[in-house]
Amino acid sequence: MSDPRPGQRFTFDEPPTPAEDASLQAARAYLPTQASDPYTAADDHDSPALDAAIKPPRKRRWGLMAVLGGTLGLGTIEAAQSLYISTLGGDWLAGAWSLVGLLAVGLGAKALCRELWRLRKLRRHARLRQQLDDEWVGGEAATDSNPMTLADELRSQMGLSKDHPHWQSFLHAHQTHHTAQETRELIAHYLLHPRDQAARRLVTRMSGETAVMVAVSPLTLVDMALMAWRNIAMLDRIAALYGLQLGYASRLRLFREVLRNMAFAGASEMVSDAGMDLLSMNLAAKLSTRAGQGLGAGLLTARLGLRAMRTTRPVAFERDEQPKLADLRREVWQQLRRLDDSAEKR
Amino acid sequence: MRRQLTHEFQNLIDRGRDRQLRLAVTGLSRAGKTAFLTSLVNQLRHAGIDARLDLLKSAREERLLGAQRVSQPDLGIPRFPYDEAMTSLEASPPQWPEPTRGISELRLQLRYKTRRARGLLGDTATLTLDLIDYPGEWLLDLPLLEHDFLSWSEAQLKGMGPARQQYAQAWQDAVAKHSADETVEESRLAELAAHYADSLRQAREAGFSHLQPGRFLLPGELQGAPVLQFFPLPGVGEDDRQALEALPASSLYQVLKKRFRFYQQHVVKPFYREYFRRFDRQIVLVDVLGALNAGPERFEDLSQALATLMRSFNYGKRSLMNRLFSPRIDRLAIAATKADHVTPDQHANLVTLLESLLAEPIKDLRFANVPVRAFSLASIRATEPREVESDGKRQAALRGHGLDGEPLLVYPGDVPAKLPEPEFWRRQGFAFTPFRPAPAGPEALPHIRMDAALEWLMGDKLR
Repeated sequence: MSDPRPGQRFTFDEPPTPAEDASLQAARAYLPTQASDPYTAADDHDSPALDAAIKPPRKRRWGLMAVLGGTLGLGTIEAAQSLYISTLGGDWLAGAWSLVGLLAVGLGAKALCRELWRLRKLRRHARLRQQLDDEWVGGEAATDSNPMTLADELRSQMGLSKDHPHWQSFLHAHQTHHTAQETRELIAHYLLHPRDQAARRLVTRMSGETAVMVAVSPLTLVDMALMAWRNIAMLDRIAALYGLQLGYASRLRLFREVLRNMAFAGASEMVSDAGMDLLSMNLAAKLSTRAGQGLGAGLLTARLGLRAMRTTRPVAFERDEQPKLADLRREVWQQLRRLDDSAEKR
Repeated sequence: MRRQLTHEFQNLIDRGRDRQLRLAVTGLSRAGKTAFLTSLVNQLRHAGIDARLDLLKSAREERLLGAQRVSQPDLGIPRFPYDEAMTSLEASPPQWPEPTRGISELRLQLRYKTRRARGLLGDTATLTLDLIDYPGEWLLDLPLLEHDFLSWSEAQLKGMGPARQQYAQAWQDAVAKHSADETVEESRLAELAAHYADSLRQAREAGFSHLQPGRFLLPGELQGAPVLQFFPLPGVGEDDRQALEALPASSLYQVLKKRFRFYQQHVVKPFYREYFRRFDRQIVLVDVLGALNAGPERFEDLSQALATLMRSFNYGKRSLMNRLFSPRIDRLAIAATKADHVTPDQHANLVTLLESLLAEPIKDLRFANVPVRAFSLASIRATEPREVESDGKRQAALRGHGLDGEPLLVYPGDVPAKLPEPEFWRRQGFAFTPFRPAPAGPEALPHIRMDAALEWLMGDKLR
């Protein structure tokens, strides 16, 4: 074990240069010990390699990429060539067709690029989340990453400006001696809590809407379409609240993530909730089959929404702050009841 | 009488509804109990206005409305001298509050908005917080209750390290002239006891903390009474018990034993019964930096003192029945005080060191399933964290004023994460600079992590 560094006294005039301060010179003698002091804990840099070794190999679909890229590239070349030949030959119709082809290729490429870009953003978000979780929750506050830089990254990702009141009140509350864990608590309260509430309101509203729509829609096919549409829209908006812009692929990926979460991680929760859900659905079904169906769809949407909140929130919820389905159930049910009542009156 | 009864009844109702909390602020002398209590009252008085209590959930959610000092239940005990402490902090130059010389009590009433409306009860609630301040020296008498005179004598003399021995040597030589069975004159006894008290005082000056009996250091109203004229008898052990018990009542051993018993029964026990039995929560304050400054033997001594001390409290889960009739401590905070005397990046080490200092009691607490959390704490922050450019490196530093008023900009040195070898003290040692408090204004006192400690100790009652 290396010795702890001794104290050091500084003079008050601006940056004290080592030449004028004798005590600083004395401190220099300890430089070898400084190399391994707690400031520069340099030994956790090999963990990425270890992680990479443990993780399952990442699948890169090189073949698909090559075919896709090749098709796009060759299509471009062919269209350009035929455009060139047709302008030489004066065949305007063929030229116009190849122009349209070029345009289509360009649009496709642009869409692909955008998707890739957004996917990258999703990945970065996931990484930030991982960092926040690992370093803040694990207590092992890595000394080389300042919690404030992570906080700032989060701020810019959530689209808050530097003088947004939430960020300002966070800065006001934060003090230099706060540990990573404490900083995380403050971030959760000052930056994320307002968004949580907005997201909750959104989930309540949209699941209520879905419930009503499914209840009044006449066809199963329409039900399915409605569910898909509302759910994806909700996912988008929740992600946007937490600072994520979703493209098609990233949305799919998130959707898959959420579904997987619901299927595996949430299994126990489902068991406890499902009983209650079934009960209330039965109750509703006794009143009216439609309402029962609607309630089921609404609750499913609500659960998906809550899961999406948990998946996209940059800092994981504290155990007692996690939004629960039980809170939403009543609201959905009330919305349906209103509908039922007004239908009866008619 | 009737008033007394209604008062007791009200207390019982409050305890039954879990609206009353007795917080034990435990710490040896100079651990910072008075500063903690002063800051606690100050922060809670200023809560919701200008106190920075962001880690206290109810304050962060703007539900804590504030606190008031109310008249305490026992009118026979002095009130905690909050105003005097504030006066000395607000003086120019500011000074730390005077060390405590006697027991004082404080009752605070906290008002807060509940998280959910409680129907007819409205949405505000109150919590009564009872606090006691006392000299830390007396606290070390509590472990005395486990001993009789013989085992105490043995334990006292066996536990001494070489450095501690050095202060007791002169007294031991004086006692060695007498044997356990001879009759010693009253005046000679008083002389020897005074000598013993003197050796304790010297050891305290040198930084030791495990010193018994505590009243010898701070006699209070017992100054000069024969009950304070006893001392451990060297050279006796468990093997001699039968022979010693058979000695006549006038023998040195019997006289000392009688006085020891009297001390136990009439000084320590009432103190324990009145003030230390009924606690719900506890915070143990430890001056880790002071112990580091003082050296390895004193560090070990402090660790032992705290371990024996914490055996005197009742720990365990609470239920309605024992909340009413035999309260137990169901949650505990341990805090390394004076955290403002090191730079913020050293706080993690300070906490680790504190945990290793209290390793034994923590194991027992885990066994009793009582949650414990360690904090680095500064009840009243005396310094400001700064950064200094030195040798082309950014270097953390502290800015404040020394005890003599000299402005300082220092890096106080590293805090080790575990106790270094004794050899290290001979080579380098620690020299954490003491600071005087920053000038206090009308706003709340600056602090480090008081809010986190409060959240841990009573956050669950402020919902």
